[in-house]
Amino acid sequence: MTEVVKPIPSTWCPGCGDFGVMAALKNSLKELKVPTEETVIVGGIGCSGGIHNFLDGYGFHSLHGRLLPTAVGVKLANPKLTVVAVGGDGDGYAIGMGHFIHTLKKNVDITYIVMNNETYGLTKGQPSPTAKVGFHGNIESPFDSVLTALSIPSAGYIARGFSGAPREAAQYVTEALRYNRERRGFAFVEILSPCVTYNDTYQLWRQQVENVEKLPGYDRSQRAKAFASVLEVKERGKIPVGQIFRVADDKGVPALDKTLLPMIERSPTTADISLEHNLTKYQKLVSSFS
Amino acid sequence: MEFFEIEKGKLNTGVGLTIAPRTGHQARPRQAMGSTPAEQVHPPLSTERVGPPVRPREPLNDISLMIGGQGGDGTLTISDLLGRYFHARGLYIYTARAVLSRIRGGHADASTRAHVDPVWSQKASQDVLVAFDEDAVKVGLKELAPGGFVLADQGSVKSEGPNIYHLPLSITAASKAGNGLYKNVVSFGSLSVMLGFDPVVARGVVEKRFGRRGGEALEANLKAFDLGREIVREAGLKTPIFTVAQGNAKDQILISGNQACALGFVVAGGRFFAGYPITPATPIMENLEKFLPQFDGIVRQAEDELAAINMAIGAAYAGARTMTATSGPGLSLMTEGMGHAGTAEVPLVIVDCQRAGPSTGEPTRHEQSDLLFVVFASHGEFPRFVLSPGYASDVFDLTVEATNLAEKWQLPVFIMLDNDESENTQSTAPFDLSKVRVDRGRLTSNEELAKMEVYKRYEFTQDGISRRSVPGMKGGVSQTTGNEHDEWGHVSVNPENRRKMMAKRMNRLELAKKDLPAPHLWGDEKARVGLIGYGSTYGPIREAQRVLKEKGVPTRFFQARTLWPVPREALTTFLESVDVAYVVENNYTGQFGRLIRQELPELAPKLRPVVKFDGLAFRAPDIVHAVRGEP
Repeated sequence: MTEVVKPIPSTWCPGCGDFGVMAALKNSLKELKVPTEETVIVGGIGCSGGIHNFLDGYGFHSLHGRLLPTAVGVKLANPKLTVVAVGGDGDGYAIGMGHFIHTLKKNVDITYIVMNNETYGLTKGQPSPTAKVGFHGNIESPFDSVLTALSIPSAGYIARGFSGAPREAAQYVTEALRYNRERRGFAFVEILSPCVTYNDTYQLWRQQVENVEKLPGYDRSQRAKAFASVLEVKERGKIPVGQIFRVADDKGVPALDKTLLPMIERSPTTADISLEHNLTKYQKLVSSFS
Repeated sequence: MEFFEIEKGKLNTGVGLTIAPRTGHQARPRQAMGSTPAEQVHPPLSTERVGPPVRPREPLNDISLMIGGQGGDGTLTISDLLGRYFHARGLYIYTARAVLSRIRGGHADASTRAHVDPVWSQKASQDVLVAFDEDAVKVGLKELAPGGFVLADQGSVKSEGPNIYHLPLSITAASKAGNGLYKNVVSFGSLSVMLGFDPVVARGVVEKRFGRRGGEALEANLKAFDLGREIVREAGLKTPIFTVAQGNAKDQILISGNQACALGFVVAGGRFFAGYPITPATPIMENLEKFLPQFDGIVRQAEDELAAINMAIGAAYAGARTMTATSGPGLSLMTEGMGHAGTAEVPLVIVDCQRAGPSTGEPTRHEQSDLLFVVFASHGEFPRFVLSPGYASDVFDLTVEATNLAEKWQLPVFIMLDNDESENTQSTAPFDLSKVRVDRGRLTSNEELAKMEVYKRYEFTQDGISRRSVPGMKGGVSQTTGNEHDEWGHVSVNPENRRKMMAKRMNRLELAKKDLPAPHLWGDEKARVGLIGYGSTYGPIREAQRVLKEKGVPTRFFQARTLWPVPREALTTFLESVDVAYVVENNYTGQFGRLIRQELPELAPKLRPVVKFDGLAFRAPDIVHAVRGEP
């Protein structure tokens, strides 16, 4: 066996919520038996964005906020890969907000995990887009990623977990990866992941999380009802978690990579690009200009 | 008006064209378009001053026709039909769109030039103007050469003059051809008589152009063509007014720089493109949308240029040969991505179809003002190559080259086009596919990796190029990052590692020099007058060389094809061989000249900037005047 890069110990503070997220992702990849060399972890910038260094598999450290377009590029170039984009709430909902919405719209078979701690940990505690009013002088109302994701018609898999409940979080990630492998489309999983140094919310969130799936009559394939339930839970001062939405098997928007590359074996990276192989077709293209 | 030298950092007087006054004569700035350059060569015609057109005895070897009207008047169709006709007559073609778009919105125009010799730029003046509205006449008349004429749409154009022929183009189309829209083909029919076209060949062109649409449309267009001929005869005009020579050009294709770029990329094995619509780069994306799906390739239109370049980086990292194309405003957004690709050593081709900037600038206008930006853009330092092709087949060749260089040297490679080069079409011999090579550099494989004991993505090697694995390769698992990193790809701020990694990347600018496209040298080897240019200035410079030679001034033209790293050795040899060198470029500050000065300060005194920044490309007379020091 060729010796390759080994995961390094994480740089996170002891007790960081990100550990729970990493454990969840690690277990999900293992459970689904994804080969290391077919795993691509695209990390953003921020504490959470270093995760690819701490896991086995190909890792790509992208620019701040740009992890989603990068991950989309990887997947479209080679749909056989299992591509997971992992970043923080500042990365995804502030500087990367445009890409977040458009990636939901594009619907490519990648899983996006956001570790939400409602703060910028790496730059020492500034309010992030999800910060509560009053946190570090924040006077802007927080943003809700799940409500936003629900409003994008092509979004087919939306879950929110809590790193304080790692078993459930791992289950959501596994489901997300499975959803990708079935070529159903983009899967979005937000995991509440407290920052023990600048915004230690473990105790508070433990009391506030409420699994919407346990609401009477909750049907996760009903988008409008999911939206209403999430709003209702929030209005009660709780944080809605759970597998909030999963489009019914016979419904949904086709995944972009599946539409563009119906045969997974034939893609930009597997194409035979030798001149000999393509010469006749190339000549035809050139002569179309005469 | 006083002239200030630009290289001394003083103010430029703001006129369109300036040259430095070091040639021993008093160089003076000349006016921007509108009163030049056509006017400089041929005095402007006005309806008062101009007598009846003089019929040249000889057929024209070089003709340019401009068609102007409102959008929807079919100006492009006429331009296209003319191009096809001249093509069939063995002439070399150069077509341009939006020549007059400085007049009010909704106006559309196009020009077609035909020449017995190859041409790569617009003619300094127009021989024929087809006008569907008054605006077209007002602006177009200033461009008209002596002996030229205007074919005006009766009823739409009021201006009168001895060289303005009013014919019922739209009236005939509406009343006899069945639809006013056919006025374009009616006009082509009329022109075919006025210019003594071979009627069979001209009719055949209409047939070929509209044949695909089937019986009814074809019949209507052929009828419109015949009607167009008839109305000239009915008007009792003495025809032909003048004629056009026949040429010997054979087997040419008619292609724009953007199309040549798209083709070059496909042929080089390019299989992934991400972009965002922007003038004048969009046609690269549109052409690739047609081409790439035939080869398992993908084109994606992103939400913005930030996404475009990062998608491209993702695809390139995954192992697809990848391109993005944009223009100035998009390039500004892509800047952070360039540095990322540079540090992470991701191979990427970035095309900049330059337009007049900064900010939104003049989106449809011509400029070459991004050079210093492209060479230096990004915080921090990373190596990059900047190539600049001069004509369609050069665009094709250098796109293939850029795609190889990006993978061989694992860095971003820029191709700089400019507005006219991107959009205008020119005749060229079909591209030589036999010369194409696909060189993937140190892209590794499962087999190679299996034989290796250790694989490190950023391993230090003698030339700084490490083996590159891509996801999916067993034994190639790696970390790729824009942070400074060690050989494994793990983040590192170790000073010694930093020094070695910087050297590993930056040394490429020296090591790759022999691998980069060499300049082309044109003209008289013994000439003491040099010309330096890049991009589409190739066309007017080559043409100016012909004129200058006739006037007894032999010249040597250094066509730079690699702009960064600056081709120091070749430039030194060239500059040592001449007394002066005019650096011709479409920007205010003489950007390439500045780069040369920076690299070769001892030869700087020989440089004479010739710059133009009025939104229009050079035409040959501009350069002739600059060299001769004429006003």
